[in-house]
Amino acid sequence: MSEKKKTIDNVLTLIFSLLSLLYLFPIALVVINSFKKKAYISKRPFSIPSGKSFVGFENYLNGIEKTGFFSAFGWTLFITIFSVAAIILCTSMCAWYISRVKNTFTNMLYYLCLFSMIVPFQMVMFPLSKIANMLGLSTPWGLIVVYLGFGAGLSVFMFTGFVKSIPLEIEEAAMIDGCTPIHTFFDVVLPIMKPTCVTVAILQTMWIWNDYLLPYLTLNMKKYKTISIAVQYLRGGYGSIDMGAMMGVLVLAIIPIVIFYLACQKYIIEGVVAGAVKG
Amino acid sequence: MDKAIKRYFPVFVLPTLAAFTMGFIAPFLVGVYLSFCKFTTINDAKFVGVVNYTKVFTDATFVHALWYTALFTIVSVVLINFFAFVAAMLLTRKIKGTNLFRTVFFMPNLIGGIILGYVWNLLLNGILLQFNKTLTYSSVYGFWGLVILMCWQQIGYMMIIYIAGIQNIPGDLVEAAKIDGANSWDILKNVTIPMVMPSITICTFLTLTNGFKLYDQNLALTNGEPSNMSEMLALNITNTFYGRAGWEGVGQAKAVIFFILVAVIALAQNRFTRSKEVQQ
Amino acid sequence: MKKRQLAALSLAVIMAAGALAGCGGGQDAGTTAAPESEETTAGAEGESGETAAQAEEGTAGDGAVYYLNFKPEQADQWKALGEAYTTETGVPVTVVTAASGTYEQTLKSEMAKSEAPTLFQVNGPVGLASWKDYCYDLKDSAVYKDLSSDDFALIDESGAVKGIAYVIETYGIIYNKALLNDYMETEGAVIASADEINSFDKLKAVADDIQAKKDELGIDGAFTSAGFDASSDWRFKTHLANLPLYYEYKAENISSTEAVKGTYLDNFKQIFDLYITDSVCEPTLLSGKTGSDAAAEFALGEAVFYQNGTWAYGDIQDNDVADEDLGMLPIFIGGEGEENQGLCTGSENYWCVNSKASEADIQATLNFLQWVVESDTGRKALAEDMGFVTPFSTFTEEYLPANPLVAAADEYVKNGTTSVSWNFTTMPSEEWKNQLGSAMLEYAQGTGDWDAVVKAFVDNWAVEYQAANN
Repeated sequence: MSEKKKTIDNVLTLIFSLLSLLYLFPIALVVINSFKKKAYISKRPFSIPSGKSFVGFENYLNGIEKTGFFSAFGWTLFITIFSVAAIILCTSMCAWYISRVKNTFTNMLYYLCLFSMIVPFQMVMFPLSKIANMLGLSTPWGLIVVYLGFGAGLSVFMFTGFVKSIPLEIEEAAMIDGCTPIHTFFDVVLPIMKPTCVTVAILQTMWIWNDYLLPYLTLNMKKYKTISIAVQYLRGGYGSIDMGAMMGVLVLAIIPIVIFYLACQKYIIEGVVAGAVKG
Repeated sequence: MDKAIKRYFPVFVLPTLAAFTMGFIAPFLVGVYLSFCKFTTINDAKFVGVVNYTKVFTDATFVHALWYTALFTIVSVVLINFFAFVAAMLLTRKIKGTNLFRTVFFMPNLIGGIILGYVWNLLLNGILLQFNKTLTYSSVYGFWGLVILMCWQQIGYMMIIYIAGIQNIPGDLVEAAKIDGANSWDILKNVTIPMVMPSITICTFLTLTNGFKLYDQNLALTNGEPSNMSEMLALNITNTFYGRAGWEGVGQAKAVIFFILVAVIALAQNRFTRSKEVQQ
Repeated sequence: MKKRQLAALSLAVIMAAGALAGCGGGQDAGTTAAPESEETTAGAEGESGETAAQAEEGTAGDGAVYYLNFKPEQADQWKALGEAYTTETGVPVTVVTAASGTYEQTLKSEMAKSEAPTLFQVNGPVGLASWKDYCYDLKDSAVYKDLSSDDFALIDESGAVKGIAYVIETYGIIYNKALLNDYMETEGAVIASADEINSFDKLKAVADDIQAKKDELGIDGAFTSAGFDASSDWRFKTHLANLPLYYEYKAENISSTEAVKGTYLDNFKQIFDLYITDSVCEPTLLSGKTGSDAAAEFALGEAVFYQNGTWAYGDIQDNDVADEDLGMLPIFIGGEGEENQGLCTGSENYWCVNSKASEADIQATLNFLQWVVESDTGRKALAEDMGFVTPFSTFTEEYLPANPLVAAADEYVKNGTTSVSWNFTTMPSEEWKNQLGSAMLEYAQGTGDWDAVVKAFVDNWAVEYQAANN
C-alpha cells in the first residue's frame, strides 16, 4: 500500500515538475526574445539569439527610452502604495463605524458597497473619468482618491465581515476607561484587524498595480503613465509595433512582480485564501 | 457607546463616503442618465429617450460579443475550476515539491492582463506560425488562445482556494467514511465535494465575473480581430464608446445592459451554489 | 440625526451630478489657467527672451499650446519643435501623439478633459463633421493667409475656415529600382524599362513574372505583405480603396456621394488579388502582419513593390535599399485612360484650433502655428526633419524636403500625368473603413468571399452615410 502510494507520488512529482516548466515557458520565451533583433522575433520566435540576431541589451534600452519606463514604474509604485494605504485606513474606519452604528443610513451604505462590487467598470468609466478630471484628479495624487472611491466597496465589505467577529466587550472596556472612539479604534480595533488589512492590501495591490483602463482614461496622459499604459503604448505608431522594445519592457515589467512575489509569498497566498473565505 | 461613536461620523465615514460618492455613486447615476442621451463629450448631452437601447440590439457586433463572452465564460469557468480542483486534490497528497509547484502555479496571477496578453501573443503566434496561421486568422484561434491564457493565469489562484478548502475538511470525517467502507470515489463525491462547496461557490463566482468582465487580456491578445469576431463585451463597449463617432450613448446603453447582466448572473449563481452548501 | 445624514448624502450626489452637468461651458476658462502656468518647461525660466516674446505677442502671455498630433512617424520631431518654441518664447507647448488607429479615441477622451488639446487634427470633411463645433474660425489667422490655395482648407457653408491642411502627401507603389533592374536583365523579362509599366495589365505581367522568378532574383516575392494589423490595414481599406472611388467619382463627375455604386470594384479586386498572390507571404498570415513587417520586407530588399506613400521614407531609409533606388509607380487598376494616371496626392491632415479653449490658449496656438510656418526653425523642422511638402506659400525653394520619394512623386507630376485625388476623405465613417478592411482580410485569407467586400463597400456606405448625417 505505502509502496504503491510512494510510486504514485513520485510519478506525480515528475508530472508536476514538467507542468511547472511548461508553466514558466511563456515567460522564458519572452526573456529569450528580448535579446533578439526585432526583425527576428515574430519570424522565428523559438530560435535562440545568436550571431546576427543577438542584440544584447539594445531592446531594453530602446524600450526604456520609448516608454519612459522608469517614470512609469515610479508612478505605478507611487499610485499603488498610497492608494492601498488610503483604502486600508479609510475603509477600515468606515467599516467599523458602519458595524457599530446601526441605522438606515449605515445599512444603505453597506448595501451600496456590496452593490458596487458587481458593477463593471465600463458602466462608470466615462462619467468617472470626467468627474475625476473636473475635480482636478487627473494626477497620480488624484488617482489615489479615485481608487479609494472605486475600490471602497470590496474593502468595506471585507472589513465589516471581520468587525462583526470582534467581541464588543473589548471595545466597551476601552471606552469605559475613557478612550475616545478614535483612540479605541487605533489602539484596540485596528491591531485586531491586522490580518484583514493584509488581505485587503494584497487584493487591492494586485488590482491597482495591474490596472489599465482606469488610469488610461483618468490620468493626464501628457505627464503620467503607468506600466500597463506604457506597454500598451508600444503597440501603435503608424506601422510600427517594435517587438524588440516590447519584449524588453515586458521583462522589465515582470521582474519586480516576481521579486515582490517571492519575498511576500506567504502573505500573498494567505491573503488570497482569507479574501476568498470572507467573500 | 453607539452615541459616542456616532459623533465621529466626519472622521470615520466622510473620507470614504466622499470618495465613494465621487468614484462610484455619482458616475453610476450619471452613467444611467447618459444612456438615454446623445452626446460627444459630456458637456453637450441631449436627452433622447430609449433610442440608444433599441440601437444596441441592432448592432450585430454587440450580439456577437454577448454570445462569444457567454461561451468563453462557460468554457473557462468549467476548465479553470476543474483543473484547479484536480491540482488541489493532488497537491494535498503531500508529495515532494508541493510548495514549489504552488509557487509556480500561482505566479501568473500577479502579472497584469496587458502584459500577459502580449506574452501569450508571442507564444501562440509563434506556434501558429508553424502552420502558416496567426491568432487573428479566425475568432476560433482567438477564443482558445484566450481560454488557454485565462487557464494559465487563474488555475493557480483557484487552486490555492481549493487547497484551503480541502485542508479544512475534518480528518475524522474522512476516517469515518473509510470505516463505513467508502472507496475513494465515494469519499470524493459524498464528503470532499460537499465540504468544499463554499470554495466552489467563491471560485465559480470569481471565474464567472472575471470571464464576463475580461478586458485587458482581450485587448492585448487579439484586440477583437478579425472583424470584431473575437471581441468580448467589455471591449465591445469600450470600442463603441471611444471608437465610433455618434455612438457614445449607445456605448453607455450597452454598459447598462452589461451591468444588469453581470448583476443577475452573480446573484443567481450565488443563490444557486449557496443552496448546495452544507452547514459545518 | 438619521435625516441629516441622508440629506448630506443626497446633497453630495446632487452636487456631483450638478457640477457635472452644469460645468460645461465655464469649465475651460476657469480650470486651465492654473496648472498650465506651472508647466512651463525649465528651459524657459529666467531667460530674457521670455519677456520680449511675451511683449511681442500681447494677449498670448499666459496661454499654452497643447497639440494632439495624428502622425506617429513625426512624433519626436514635433516634440522637439515644441521645445524649441518654448525655449524661444517661453510659451509652453505640449505635444502628444496618439498611437496608430486610436486618434479619434484619444481625441475624444482628451477633449473631455479640462486641459483639452488646443490644436488637433481632422482627416477631412467627414472627420470635421463630428468636431465642427470645436473648430475655431481660422479666417483671420496668419496660417490661413500663408496658405497657397483654398483647396487646402476646410471651409464650411458660412465661409468659416475650420481646418487647414499642413502637409501634402503622395502615395503609390514604391519600388526598388535595383531589384527591378535585376529583373529586367533576366531572360524573357516582360519590360525593358520601368516606364513601360503604364497599365494594370503591364503591372500584373511584371509582378507575375517576378513572382515566378523570385528564387532566381533572391527575393521572397513581388509585393510586400498586405498586412491587416491595425498598423497596416489603412493602406488597403483606405488608400487602395480610394482608386475605385476615384474612377467612380470621375465617371459620375461628382466629388462626394451618399450612395456609392461600386462600378469599379472588379478593378479593385484585380489589384488586391495581385497584392495577395504575388506576395512574400501566405495570405493566411496577413491578419497578423504589421506595417513594420511590410516596411522591413521592402527595406531589406525582400520584395520589389510596396504600396505606401512619401511618409514611409523614414521607415525604409538607412537600410539595404539606397535612396537613389527608390521609385514610385501609380496604382494601376485598369480604369479608363490609366496611361495618364498619376500618383495619389492629397491631404488628410488638417489643423483645427479648439474653439472651446480659453482666449489666451487660442491666441497662443495661433501664434505657434504662425511661427511654425513662418520662422526659419519651424520651416526647417517641417521640411527637413519631418520631410513634409506643405501647402504654404512661405515654403520657398530652400524649404523642400530631401525625401527621394517626394522627388519621385514630383517627376510624375512633371511628366504630365493627372494626379489621383484623395477621395477617401469622403468615406462615410471609420466604421465603414473598418468593415471594409475586415471583409478584405476575410477574402484574402480565404475565410470570406468577394461578395462580402462588395457589400461592405456599397451597401454599408449608404448605411453609414445615413447614420453619420442625420
